[in-house]
Amino acid sequence: MRIVALDSLAERLRLKRGQGVAEARAMHPRLDVLPADPAADQSFLSGLADWCDRYTPLVAYAGADGLALDITGCTKLHGGEKALLDDVLSRLFQLGVEARGAIAASPGLSWALARFSGNDVIEAGEEAVALGPLPVTALRLPQALTDTLIRLGLTQVGDLMEAPRAALARRFGPLVFLRLDQALGHDDEPLSPRRPVAELSVERRLISPVSGEDDILGLALQLADGLKGRLEERGEGGRQFELLLFRVDGKVFRLLAGTSSPLRDPKRIAALYRERLAAVHDDLDAGYGFEILRLCVLKAEPISSVQDDFSGRPDQSRALADFTDRVVARFGDEVLSVAVLAASHIPERAASLRPARDAASPAAKGLQAEEWPVVPVRPLRLLTHPERVEVPVADVPDGAPERFFWRRTAYRVARAEGPERIAAEWWIDGEDAPTRDYFRIEDETGRRFWMFRNGLFQRERMHPDWFMHGIFA
Amino acid sequence: MAENAVPRETVLALRDAIARLERDRPSGSCLATTRTEGEKAGFSASGLSPTAHEETLPLGVPALDHAMSGGLPLKGLSEIRVAETRDAGAATGFTLGLAALCQARRKARGELGPILWISETMAEKEAGEPYGVGLSLLGIDLRAALFSRPRNLQQALWIAEAALGFSVFSAVILEIRGNPARLGLQESRRLQLRSMGSGVPIFLLRQAGEEEASSAHLRLLVRPAPASLFMLPDGTMLSTGIGHPAFHVIAEKTRAFSPVDAYLEWSSHARRFYPLDPVAVSLPAHAADPVAVLPASVGRPGGAPALGRVMAFKRAS
Repeated sequence: MRIVALDSLAERLRLKRGQGVAEARAMHPRLDVLPADPAADQSFLSGLADWCDRYTPLVAYAGADGLALDITGCTKLHGGEKALLDDVLSRLFQLGVEARGAIAASPGLSWALARFSGNDVIEAGEEAVALGPLPVTALRLPQALTDTLIRLGLTQVGDLMEAPRAALARRFGPLVFLRLDQALGHDDEPLSPRRPVAELSVERRLISPVSGEDDILGLALQLADGLKGRLEERGEGGRQFELLLFRVDGKVFRLLAGTSSPLRDPKRIAALYRERLAAVHDDLDAGYGFEILRLCVLKAEPISSVQDDFSGRPDQSRALADFTDRVVARFGDEVLSVAVLAASHIPERAASLRPARDAASPAAKGLQAEEWPVVPVRPLRLLTHPERVEVPVADVPDGAPERFFWRRTAYRVARAEGPERIAAEWWIDGEDAPTRDYFRIEDETGRRFWMFRNGLFQRERMHPDWFMHGIFA
Repeated sequence: MAENAVPRETVLALRDAIARLERDRPSGSCLATTRTEGEKAGFSASGLSPTAHEETLPLGVPALDHAMSGGLPLKGLSEIRVAETRDAGAATGFTLGLAALCQARRKARGELGPILWISETMAEKEAGEPYGVGLSLLGIDLRAALFSRPRNLQQALWIAEAALGFSVFSAVILEIRGNPARLGLQESRRLQLRSMGSGVPIFLLRQAGEEEASSAHLRLLVRPAPASLFMLPDGTMLSTGIGHPAFHVIAEKTRAFSPVDAYLEWSSHARRFYPLDPVAVSLPAHAADPVAVLPASVGRPGGAPALGRVMAFKRAS
């Protein structure tokens, strides 16, 4: 067992990362040792990253123990760079997190400063001065490379900056100078944010936290009002919204809500969230209340502005979309579907149920009933999995059954229509998939069933099985 | 010089194909119906006042229309039940026929008239999922059909209630299985009131359920009925093949009349019901238990039985 992380007290005792636990215990018998749990660390870090969303939408992980925030353009809202950094650190301190931070023009430099320097805000142009005295460890190089550099006496970054580049690059590879340039801002290093940046977002910071559902909905309506103008400017409506609720103690709830058509009417957006809140009611623990609410548009699509006509009748498709959105927001996507036809002769592939929310997009439309090739008869209901049927007597090779047992009940066939022979789609099912002979069968009381013989008699199967596949009206 | 003899099967098959092409012809054993101008949209009531058009939808089957005092009520809850799960096909077909009539009526007004079919998980697992191709062959416009598969009855009721608040729907079908306690008198009353308010009819399709006191104005029991044969253009009957979907509908609970039963068939081309003459429905000779020549008794011989199921017999002594 080795030490992977230390708190500041243990660092002062001169313990080191990588040291054996037994050795450390021998030095300091009263040492408190906890087993490392990287997964929990990671989830804690991602919780903190969520919390950091309050400062900027661009939050990225920086290694396993840090976060990089792109605060370009955000500082004014928080009273300047220094004030923002102080705010972050003091709030984190109140949450019980000991954090260090620095602001610099490049991610590499701020990474180095936060870990190895007392400076916190570095103005543009002072990068070289700030970076020079730092140890080479600050360059984010692999451990072996750093060790080699230190062994050669290049202990500070400043030593590297003065050394001849070509010779060092030949010896150590291009990474050393890439990292150096990135830290100095000569080379670009993009941050990869954890979440896609919202197209639009509106937020409200509250002086006294709210916890009631009605308060949240009221605020969501106000936020949606704020979105409306900006969506109108862009001529768009939102297809996917996200409501972020920042709880006082740092937990962040994200409520996603999708719509079936582009939406910008604040009342309908709020109605969407009424359903969402009702659906997540039990999971949404308001605790001491929420202090920041933010409404984002994650996905927007152009919307053609419509004017209500004078007939006073509500627009049909809009009302339908409204219903779809309400149901889907409450119970999820799979609860509401539309039937989509596809070009296939295999019955279960010919029609399928797809989520209704995507029905409006042309890709999901599928075939229309008119384009469908002429089919003789098809049942109203199809069993999800064809059910095995016992057929004691059937005409061979391709006749209909005379009697059969289905779900432990005996049926006598009064009339039969068929066979309708459907060959397998060998390009999907393989060459030896059996051909199906479908029969429409009416029993003595007038129940009409759709059964098939799986495989041609003695050509594909010695004794083909029978299956029930559907029910007619 | 004799011509090549055409095998009898080929002739029959060709006849069959021709008969299918002429789907709009009702089958040979249909009774006479009242013919009016608005038949395509499902209207066939001649002597009714204009307001009656708003509230009822005549099926074009005199016996049933009479029993339902003019036609299917267009507001409120109507229950359609089948005694056994295996009869679910007949009930589904009949209910969708009604829904298609409601849809046609809305379409005639230039509206979209979507149908919502909510089926509870168990009901769908037992009887099969809605099959798009078959539905469109029955006459349902798939572009105006929504299918809902809620996880439990509570969700199903919520969705049904929500849908009844939107008057765009031309019909809502709520399919359940058995007689769940969650859907009692109170819930059916809510559905009934909602439906009365918005004017969207709701059909409660009950699979394998018993008669149960509910707020529905109308309760129909559907039984499967043998389909009649195809009639060829020359008036003869085709000996093979299965004709249009046929149903045996028993009006168990209506506002006006004592129980009535009727045989009817659905023509998906004409999108209407035709009354069927049960006597003329010829059955194959070897059928062991053919349909009675006279209409079957209405399911309650000797007066109405007590509601509910027998849990225990009384003590004998």
